[in-house]
Amino acid sequence: MRVLSRAGALLLLLAAAAFAALWIAARQVWLELGDPALLTGYCLLAVMLLLALFTARKRLSMVPLGRASVWLTLHVVGGLLAVALYWLHVGAFWPTGGYEIVLALLFYLVVVSGAVGFVIQRVCPTRLTRSGEEVIYERIPAELSRLRDRAEAVILACAEKSGSDTLARHYDEVLHWYFQKPRFFFGNVFGSLQSKHWLENQSRALARYLNASERDFQRELYELAEAKSEMDSQYALQSLMKWWLFCHVPPSAALLVFAVWHLIVVNLYAI
Amino acid sequence: MAEVATLVRPQRWDAPFGPEMTDGDVEMLLARPEFGDIDRDRFPASTPLDGILRNDTRLVRTQPGDIVLRSGDYGNSAFLILDGDLRVVLAPDLPSRLLGRQQTRKKGFFEALAQLWTNRWVPEVRNVANYTNRGLRAAEKLEDSRVFLQDIPVVLDKHRTAKISAGTLFGELAALGRVPRTASVFSESDALLLEIRWQGLRELRKYAPAWRAQIDESYRDNALNAHLRSTPLFADVDFAVVQDIAKEVLFETYGSFDWHVTYKKERQRGAEQSSGTVICQEGDYPDGVLLIRAGFARVSTRYGSGQRNLTYLGAGDVFGLDELYEGFKSGETKPLQTSLTALGYVDLLRVPAPVLEQHVFPSMKPPKVRLADLAGRLAADDGLFEWAVDERFVNATMAMLIDMDRCVRCDDCVRACASTHGGNPRFIRHGQTFDHWMVANACMHCADPVCMIGCPTGAIHRDTGTGTVVVNDDTCIGCGTCANSCPYENIRLVEINDQSGRPLVDPDHGRPIFKATKCDLCVGNPGGPACVRACPHDALRRVDFRYADPFAEASA
Repeated sequence: MRVLSRAGALLLLLAAAAFAALWIAARQVWLELGDPALLTGYCLLAVMLLLALFTARKRLSMVPLGRASVWLTLHVVGGLLAVALYWLHVGAFWPTGGYEIVLALLFYLVVVSGAVGFVIQRVCPTRLTRSGEEVIYERIPAELSRLRDRAEAVILACAEKSGSDTLARHYDEVLHWYFQKPRFFFGNVFGSLQSKHWLENQSRALARYLNASERDFQRELYELAEAKSEMDSQYALQSLMKWWLFCHVPPSAALLVFAVWHLIVVNLYAI
Repeated sequence: MAEVATLVRPQRWDAPFGPEMTDGDVEMLLARPEFGDIDRDRFPASTPLDGILRNDTRLVRTQPGDIVLRSGDYGNSAFLILDGDLRVVLAPDLPSRLLGRQQTRKKGFFEALAQLWTNRWVPEVRNVANYTNRGLRAAEKLEDSRVFLQDIPVVLDKHRTAKISAGTLFGELAALGRVPRTASVFSESDALLLEIRWQGLRELRKYAPAWRAQIDESYRDNALNAHLRSTPLFADVDFAVVQDIAKEVLFETYGSFDWHVTYKKERQRGAEQSSGTVICQEGDYPDGVLLIRAGFARVSTRYGSGQRNLTYLGAGDVFGLDELYEGFKSGETKPLQTSLTALGYVDLLRVPAPVLEQHVFPSMKPPKVRLADLAGRLAADDGLFEWAVDERFVNATMAMLIDMDRCVRCDDCVRACASTHGGNPRFIRHGQTFDHWMVANACMHCADPVCMIGCPTGAIHRDTGTGTVVVNDDTCIGCGTCANSCPYENIRLVEINDQSGRPLVDPDHGRPIFKATKCDLCVGNPGGPACVRACPHDALRRVDFRYADPFAEASA
């Protein structure tokens, strides 16, 4: 698993050096009986604005603004620097004051969602690649619908050929729920075998009520259910890769707004 | 026994080149000296001369100004002038605008940025004004439409041309050798031409000695000397000696010219691709060096019970040199260390060993890399390469290869593509996969661009500056020839809309107007392909598969 490229390591070193320089400068201000929070606050806001530029870069693909991968590396390293600067600025893990607590909550939400996103982006693609033939996210509902139609066709064929409605009742009571939409989301996200175990148990429980000809249909039905399980897994992983950004980008925007307001208030009343 | 359905076995001439050819036309042709003087008994019963004329040729009528050939185009047919006069443009070549080609102009930074607000929400919007006064002569069948020169005297004034008249054969070298046309030809008067597709031309060359002599002489005179001189092997050889060598060179062709048709069918069926026609076997004694003139051939060696691909050779590459040179130096004959197999279609020149021993080897330095040395790699590391060869992705010069272990499926690449093409993406992030690699459905800008064969207006062409295969939207008539030819299904026909978002339909039938679209490597945009720049994880590259590990640099 890639964690850090060579360029990323170099940027990290530069960020560490920049932080050390700022820490020395802030200490100097403090020794001179000044308020270092102003210096660290402005630096933190500058870094946060730099981080926000990554989103702008994504919107401006038509102009040569450098490779997005370089921007992402900058974004990750900048994020780490922002955490260090935040602690230097606040002087504690948790601030006092209602407004500052809201700011801290937003800040930590952005940091944690960013860190989780970083891990998701490094873990999920490999798992997805290994999950068989991949279907584009937008086409998954159509694929699920196709599997459901095929399953229902198997049920009808079974009823017609065997004259028994056992498999149809089983479908109605158990598998209809399963084929309706993606299931076992979290099990699939965490890579558990929950879905497969559930299917095995349902299949085993049903088998004793079926005769030989119905069992052929049951096998066919559960093959489709397994294909659906693969599709559910792909849906869960692709959803995770797409939707984690909603926990990161909107709070980031809110954080910037709150931070700018914080800056205005500080400049108006605290200096 | 299971029941079977019957089908009359398909024959070569089930689909004639020109279905409208009549018996009268064939008789007219046979009365002409070009065909009347041919000894018909030389032709096999399965492919008689009149059958070739009936099925492998068609009559083409042109009007003054009609462009018959454009330099740089690929084609699979030659032309024999039956009546009228044509002009070959010698120098300077006709400008791209007159040839119906795209005028590529790089956008400036701010012009590119303006796409942020000028891109439309409605897909495939076109400015209809671009389609007026475009020098296109419509025909009953879309694929018979032609681009024509509107002012012949001006062209004759500004360009040096040569007149060619009845009885002249032209376009045969490009048709047989699968190389670009070297000159543009236009009609000076009303003319009647016989267009001969390459299969018929191949038979005429094979069974009619006069045709063979004419075609070979034309090739030796016009192309072979230049080709040999541009080959590094003969770089230090005197001009006069190269001319002598040219006299000894043999021409060979392996595989099928229409490999892409079979390939596409097999691919749609999900069947394995054929392994190709063997040209030389490992262990054989070489009698000469093979120079690849066009197409591709794979170099392989025995490995277990199969063949291991070591590399593939394309135009300008040489096979058999290592063994011949070693044999020359040691005085012992060395067998071939590797096999050579045609990948689809390959056109070769065989330079006999005695010629090389006399003119080249005495002053030649030993080859730095021997083809057989490539077997030193671990076979286990060759999976991607072997797959690329099997799937014919080796044709690509700019395949879109995505490392799916890095790709987070964010579609930033697709959005970036759309942002540089009026809001319309020009590829699909989907395609053939091997292990964690995917070759997405994006134009690969092939070395052997079969999509360019048969475009009636030359709308699809190579950009002269960059070599990128581009479609000129203004002259594309939406006939679909390129999309049907592309073996990788990377060209899409789209229905277009006017600037107010209304679908454009033709007034006669009310059917939608189509245009061919494909990746153009952002040829007019600053900064190169936007898809590559937009990937935050360096998962996407445009690659030539000859370089075994396209992501080596990124993963270092």
